[in-house]
Amino acid sequence: MTMAATHHDTSVETAAPPTRKQPDRTALLLAPGVLWMLLFLVAPILMMVYVSFWTQTTFKIEPTLTLKSWVAFFSSETYLGALWTTIRIWLIVLVSTLLVGYPAALFVGLFVKNKTLSTALLVLCVIPFWTSFLIRVLAWRPMLGKEGAINMILMKIGVITQPIEVLLFSELSVIIGMTQIYCVFMVGPIAFMLGRIDPSVIEAAQDLGAGFWRIFRTIILPLSMPGVVVGAIFVSVMVLGEFATSAALSGRKVNLLGNIIVTQVGSLKWAFAAVAGVVLTILMGAVVAALLRVVDLRKEL
Amino acid sequence: MPSLAAFARPADCEAFREKSGPELVGTEVTSVLQLKNVHKAFSGVPALAGVDAALSENSYVSLLGPSGSGKTTLLRVIAGFDQPDGGEILFAGKRIDSIPPHERGIGFVFQNFALFPHLSVAQNIAFGLSNRAVDPVTDTKIVAAKVRDMIGLVGLSGLEDRAVTQISGGQKQRVALARTLVTEPSMVLLDEPLGALDANLRTRMRGELRTIRERCGVTFLHVTGSETEALAMGDTVLVLDRGRIAQSADAGTLYSRPASADVARFLNCYNIFPGAVSGDAFESPVGRLALGGTRLTSGKQAYAIRYDRVAIRPRDAAAAGDEVRIEASFVASEYSGAAINSFFTLDDGRVFEVETHLSHAAPEAFEEKARYALVWKREDALVFD
Ligand SMILES: Nc1ncnc2c1ncn2[C@@H]1O[C@H](COP(=O)(O)OP(=O)(O)OP(=O)(O)O)[C@@H](O)[C@H]1O
Ligand SMILES: [Mg+2]
Repeated sequence: MTMAATHHDTSVETAAPPTRKQPDRTALLLAPGVLWMLLFLVAPILMMVYVSFWTQTTFKIEPTLTLKSWVAFFSSETYLGALWTTIRIWLIVLVSTLLVGYPAALFVGLFVKNKTLSTALLVLCVIPFWTSFLIRVLAWRPMLGKEGAINMILMKIGVITQPIEVLLFSELSVIIGMTQIYCVFMVGPIAFMLGRIDPSVIEAAQDLGAGFWRIFRTIILPLSMPGVVVGAIFVSVMVLGEFATSAALSGRKVNLLGNIIVTQVGSLKWAFAAVAGVVLTILMGAVVAALLRVVDLRKEL
Repeated sequence: MPSLAAFARPADCEAFREKSGPELVGTEVTSVLQLKNVHKAFSGVPALAGVDAALSENSYVSLLGPSGSGKTTLLRVIAGFDQPDGGEILFAGKRIDSIPPHERGIGFVFQNFALFPHLSVAQNIAFGLSNRAVDPVTDTKIVAAKVRDMIGLVGLSGLEDRAVTQISGGQKQRVALARTLVTEPSMVLLDEPLGALDANLRTRMRGELRTIRERCGVTFLHVTGSETEALAMGDTVLVLDRGRIAQSADAGTLYSRPASADVARFLNCYNIFPGAVSGDAFESPVGRLALGGTRLTSGKQAYAIRYDRVAIRPRDAAAAGDEVRIEASFVASEYSGAAINSFFTLDDGRVFEVETHLSHAAPEAFEEKARYALVWKREDALVFD
């Protein structure tokens, strides 16, 4: 017995080809990540899909499968309204972060020739994150409010006679707030891609006779598209899942899917929350898939 | 005359000797580009310290200079990417100092090619035609026809739709050149266009660049750090040294009559001794070298003798009356194609190089560390004073 065991051991030792080590190591390196994702991302999402078909009564939820919550979601004004508001705000914020972020990225990534300076400027963009979300929201109120700084100044110089009320507790304030918070996620990737453009490529275009706007349209914009797509994915995923900014700046007037989920969970309506969660997840997946089709990222990066 | 055999010309010179004919005679050639006292400094350090030059129409001009001598800076100033601090640049008789690069009509071929990475070969070549601000070609048929002709001219047929990231270095070089030539510039600046290519391809592209230029009939200003490339390619060679044009001459003249010891040093085919003329000899660290050769006026005194004008003799061989003789110990030899280069150390530690052409003599085996007599004719030496 002992003999056999020893024999077995050595044969394994010698028979094992050196290449077998490779897949072993791959599996070992990937295992923690994959396990983590399965346990805490894939399983909960599947669970959420499952729960969305459970039966919800006022006080409890039972694992009896039904379509009731789904029907309720898609026949309710409130929920469909929230879905529409989410999509609308997402689109507006996406466009406004692009409009504010692209010129900033263009400056940081292309016009600032000094690499140290451009890195420093990118770090500056992150400074808003040195304060907490709550403090920033708190700070916007005296700025945007009815008696806030903007209204005061506009009244003083006589541009308006009545304070503009939509500045705070409206969709506009939510859009202003979100653009401010998420702009840097647009600037970063675009500035990175612009920084990788060889300056002599732009000089070559100049030398061939093209003016600035032509060069921008035919060279700079196409070469920065991967950055735009990555930035758009960052912003989209974060804005679609938002609830805090709208809660703090809209005075409960703007309800996003995220806010619906928060209230439903708060009132223990798990099945409804799960339906909203599944809808939101599908929406995000569709948006990311659509954005990825714009540019072949694997080829460009 | 067996002794003459040892003083034969190197093979490298053959290429330019054929072509340095008619231009020399001096028919009135108009200059397409004139530089007058062009200055440029980077944070106080001068990169161009008063460049004066005139480039004639329809010619191949090479610009030779060591690394850091200001070659790229000069090209960038001519193309308009950098502003000169002072001086005048005249292009076809007009001052262009304040005209932006895209209106100058001067083509620039970058050292790293700078192709548009997201466009195909044909799109790269078509870029200038359809995107230039002045007089763009809007008819896609005309653009396509011109691009097709240009692709044929530079020998890229079959690669039209290939991405420029998926072609070889030599092909990239051709795309870069074609992209510039298709816009019909009045002049093309090339910054070390062959620097990124391997030695074989470099030699082949030399010939092709000259042929392409002759077919287009525009002036090429070709920057290079290689003296063989500069001599082989240029109808005129400009030598740039520390931000100044040290010499402007045809290759034959430059090679046999460098204007200063520094120019001779860049040519990499002269042994140069410092020292001073005293009486009928040049007082050098290796002894008195009898005068008798060409005297040239230049700032610094020096004595120069070409590698291929020196004969190696046994130590006991006597020198003839019109010869100069020094002694040195043999170090090593190096084959370079049709020639063999032998290295000696002189008594003051200086390295002395002799080039012997194998077509004229069978290679001799020299003994390491043994002493030999190195002999040349007085009249072959250049004396700068
Ligand atoms: N953008 C710049 N900023 C500061 N100094 C510069 C700049 N460009 C060039 N220089 C300096 O100017 C001098 C000339 O540089 P240039 O690039 O023209 O040399 P070069 O002859 O092209 O050399 P190489 O053969 O190595 O390319 C160098 O001393 C260089 O350090
Ligand atoms: Mg250079």
